[in-house]
Amino acid sequence: MTLPCGTPNYAYNQDMAIIRTKFHWGLFFILLVFLATFPLYGNNYWLGVSNLIGITLIAAIGLNILTGYCGQLSIGHAGFIAVGAYTSAILTGKLGLPFLVGMLCAGIVAGVIGLIFGIPSLKVKGFYLAISTIAAQFIIIWVINHWSEVTGGFMGISAPFASIAGFAFRSQASQFYLILTIAGLCVFFTKNLARTRVGRAFVAIRDNDLAAEVMGVNLFYYKLLAFFVGCFLAGIAGSLLAHWTGSISTENFTLMDSILYIGMIIIGGLGTALGPILGVVFIRLLEQGVTLLSPALQFAFPTLPSGFTTGIAPMLFGLVIILFLVFEPRGIAHRWAIFKAAYRLWPFSY
Amino acid sequence: MAELLQLTVTGITVGMVYGLIALGFALIWKSSSVANLALGELVLISSWFTYGMLVQAKFPYWLAFPVVILFALALGWLAERLVLRPLIAQPILSLITATLGLAYFLRGIVTFIWPWSVDALPRLFPIEPVRIGPAVVSQEYIWAAVISLILFGLLTAFFRYHKMGIAMRATSDDQLAVQACGIPVTSIFSTSWMFACVVAAIGGILMSSIGGITFGLVETGLKSFSVVILGGLESFIGCIVAGPIIGLAENIGGGYLTPILWAGVKDIVPFVIIIIVLFIRPYGIFGEERIERI
Repeated sequence: MTLPCGTPNYAYNQDMAIIRTKFHWGLFFILLVFLATFPLYGNNYWLGVSNLIGITLIAAIGLNILTGYCGQLSIGHAGFIAVGAYTSAILTGKLGLPFLVGMLCAGIVAGVIGLIFGIPSLKVKGFYLAISTIAAQFIIIWVINHWSEVTGGFMGISAPFASIAGFAFRSQASQFYLILTIAGLCVFFTKNLARTRVGRAFVAIRDNDLAAEVMGVNLFYYKLLAFFVGCFLAGIAGSLLAHWTGSISTENFTLMDSILYIGMIIIGGLGTALGPILGVVFIRLLEQGVTLLSPALQFAFPTLPSGFTTGIAPMLFGLVIILFLVFEPRGIAHRWAIFKAAYRLWPFSY
Repeated sequence: MAELLQLTVTGITVGMVYGLIALGFALIWKSSSVANLALGELVLISSWFTYGMLVQAKFPYWLAFPVVILFALALGWLAERLVLRPLIAQPILSLITATLGLAYFLRGIVTFIWPWSVDALPRLFPIEPVRIGPAVVSQEYIWAAVISLILFGLLTAFFRYHKMGIAMRATSDDQLAVQACGIPVTSIFSTSWMFACVVAAIGGILMSSIGGITFGLVETGLKSFSVVILGGLESFIGCIVAGPIIGLAENIGGGYLTPILWAGVKDIVPFVIIIIVLFIRPYGIFGEERIERI
């Protein structure tokens, strides 16, 4: 247990509560106040960064359900996000449907496409599944690029601002609240999903799918459910991305992005609710750091080759993924747990 | 008719190169059960290195190619020693992701050193095209097929007769038993990585002499996964048979489907084949179905 000493549980619902002590409630309240007032002291640039973090977080949570909890590796996540983004952009931009309908449809269409490419997961796993999702990534992007009557082809497509009941989310600050709300709901959803029957079935499949089947877990149902939920969240993230940036093209959804999503959940910690948050924040802040610092470095050291600014980011990302896999395969979330345990017991470490 | 023959010849020859690159994958998979998804980037970086040697450093051919081979050997050794060796006995998800991280890193290096990202190798083969019946094929294709075939032969002989090759086959069968017989398993792993990198480098040079050096080479590496899937992961024969099949499907399918569907069908055919094979016969033509026990 990670509770502080002397926290008694007198009822089952106390045992199951996510936030237990008054101190936790206090911290949670401070976090809420900080997030709610963030647009007051964050300038537009950092609001943009945090919006991107929020959108990425939703997608990463989807991938975490699929890969972290259910153990089905997907290297086509950016493709599924693209499906959501384009569905939403087409439905709201071309057909004039309301934003909420567009977003829900984006999730459902992405989920169904994910189901189709997830069907091989019933027969194969590991490398085979990885390859089939890579194929999914290429097929999806190719179709989007060439079906230009609907998707706008290589030119991309524009999407109107999100609007709910007549209120349009035009500024970064208003979109921040929209994205924050949905991301918060997603975090709450995964935290609870892991403790339900479905979540336990996912974990059983991840640990050994054959044993899970023998125990009575319906593999067909739960594997496809994992694909649907994971890709549904990817679709939601895609929809938000489309309405946030205003225009999208397939450049935003490359295989490299898919790999980066896997990198994020591994760096954060697979199969934990906290992991995607930490991983996404880590990678996106690293990205910002590189974008801000590399031109300055290039300027300070003119001897650096001209590819420095563009090449340093992928090098760093690859390096970070490898280093985490070698030295901390359980991610930052595990380090955080160790730290919490240490400070809870301090100064008596036994 | 001439068009069909043309497409057939190009398809088979390009397919040979796919098969060759796929062989590099099968090598690593057989000896260490690591799925090397960085294959495309290995092809890319060794093609660029060849460019660097031939064009930028202006080495003569007889010097440049041995240097490239040495580079590929070093790359394979380093990749195995630094990335995969610490991950021995980790779950397959970590192994796959580690090679993906490697892919990311290598791509970063390529953009770092060669930021213009598109270029052509100097002409390696004579310019006059070859006529096969009514079809006209440029010499690069023929040479690519011939060199791939020679390498297939050499590697097959190596695995059949050389001590190291036999040890590698034994490792793929049972790592514990091999270790008990006193064969150093780790050095088998690095050898297989070094071999795979050399094979990828040669495949990369052949492909880039046909189509220039672009990020499309990464896709070539990914397309060779369809060869692996179709042929069966454990099988060298599978690579040799499935390579030309994929090449044929890609070229003939691309040639005849383009008027019906959109342009560029060619690029997507191998990936569609992957999905179809996984639906119908996931273990490929020559692969062995794994029976799992709890």
